[in-house]
Amino acid sequence: MPPAVGPKPAPPAPLKAVPGADSFERVVDDYQRRLYGFALRMTGNREDAEEIVQDSFVRAYRALGKMSPEQRAELRLQPWLYTITLNVTRNRLRSRKPTSVALDALADPDALLRESLDGPPQPETIVEQNAEVALVERALLQLPMHLRAAATLRFIEGRSHPEIAEILNQPIGTVKSHVHRAVRVLRRILGPQIGRIVAEGDTAHALS
Amino acid sequence: MRCRDVEAMWDEIRGQCTASVRQAVDGHLHDCPHCQDLYEEFEGVAYCLSCLPQPEPSCDLTKKVVEHIAQIRYRVRPEPIILTAIETPIGTLFVGFKDRRIAYVGIDTGDDLDVVRQQIEQRLRRPVVGGEAPPWLRQTLDEFFATWHVDESHVDLSDLTEFEQAALRAAAQIPPGEVRSYAWVATRIGKPKAARAVGRAMARNPLPLLFPCHRVVNAAGDLHNYGYGLEMKARILRMEGYRGS
Repeated sequence: MPPAVGPKPAPPAPLKAVPGADSFERVVDDYQRRLYGFALRMTGNREDAEEIVQDSFVRAYRALGKMSPEQRAELRLQPWLYTITLNVTRNRLRSRKPTSVALDALADPDALLRESLDGPPQPETIVEQNAEVALVERALLQLPMHLRAAATLRFIEGRSHPEIAEILNQPIGTVKSHVHRAVRVLRRILGPQIGRIVAEGDTAHALS
Repeated sequence: MRCRDVEAMWDEIRGQCTASVRQAVDGHLHDCPHCQDLYEEFEGVAYCLSCLPQPEPSCDLTKKVVEHIAQIRYRVRPEPIILTAIETPIGTLFVGFKDRRIAYVGIDTGDDLDVVRQQIEQRLRRPVVGGEAPPWLRQTLDEFFATWHVDESHVDLSDLTEFEQAALRAAAQIPPGEVRSYAWVATRIGKPKAARAVGRAMARNPLPLLFPCHRVVNAAGDLHNYGYGLEMKARILRMEGYRGS
């Protein structure tokens, strides 16, 4: 399993002017992939992730409209958008009945796979055809939400501790401890698979 | 440094930390195989996570958000769906329409009308109001149940993604009483690898019956799945003249 992405895209330009629809469209365009990836890792479900991203941008737009120019100038757009996305995700997962796919998968990790349809697997599904990817995705979904958020932001989104602290509105110490706990739990869930995945990644890397 | 402290330092020393801290940790790791192993496993976990592929949202996500926001901006209320119940050969149907076009069909399974209303609001993101069935609607449904085909000028797919629209149009190409696989639909719309996405599009079909997701089955020819249950799927197919199992 070689790394699928190269360097993360450079952070988009900060928001300057009053967001008219045009400049906000830029914001949406710049951040939608990032926020979608985050929401998808948090929920494990494509439809949910898309709806979360839509709702988050609408919320962001409404909130920007209520801010003074000074507030807007001080706003750090990226962490703020992550925060909104996380809140929308949280509300959504909380209101979920315990029959949701993610929770079924938690009780029975094979449920997601059994649910799969016939036909060739295709790259755009969250349950990857690649067994290792599926394994890691499922392990992440088994974490409690606060640990999942910390691990996703740190290792998938590549955010620093201070950035995560800002996004989660938590002291840096708490962030570090959550990241650490997440890694410990993932290590337990993935167990001996880790060595295999890393070894295969190295091989694939050497061949490419 | 004790093992406990060193363990807690792991993520720290991957980023910026002072040279003296790094030295202290390295010194401990050098002498402590236990912590060495632990660090290696932590690194392994971080590696596994960093290798997860970057998922792509559907290509019209930005467009949808911008449209949504334009509605807020100009305070345009989305046009409501008018919801009505209508008797048909298959039983009572809940039909939602706007602009003389059908946008939603639900088979009555004893659900409360409020539940149906909520489903439509969530699926199509439009307000729903109750109403009477106009003559054109009865006529369209009569024609449908006589031919098992609906002309696209009578339906509204505009709240769906491009992919969903394409998948449903392809499903409508399947003759009544026949079935095709998810993969067949996927190939038909030029995305041969997207059989699962086709499955999802069928599951989210807001116009069952009219857009015949019931004619789409799995590769083995099993009816596989249906929002209203397999019995209903078989029943609709039999009404169309299907002779399979």
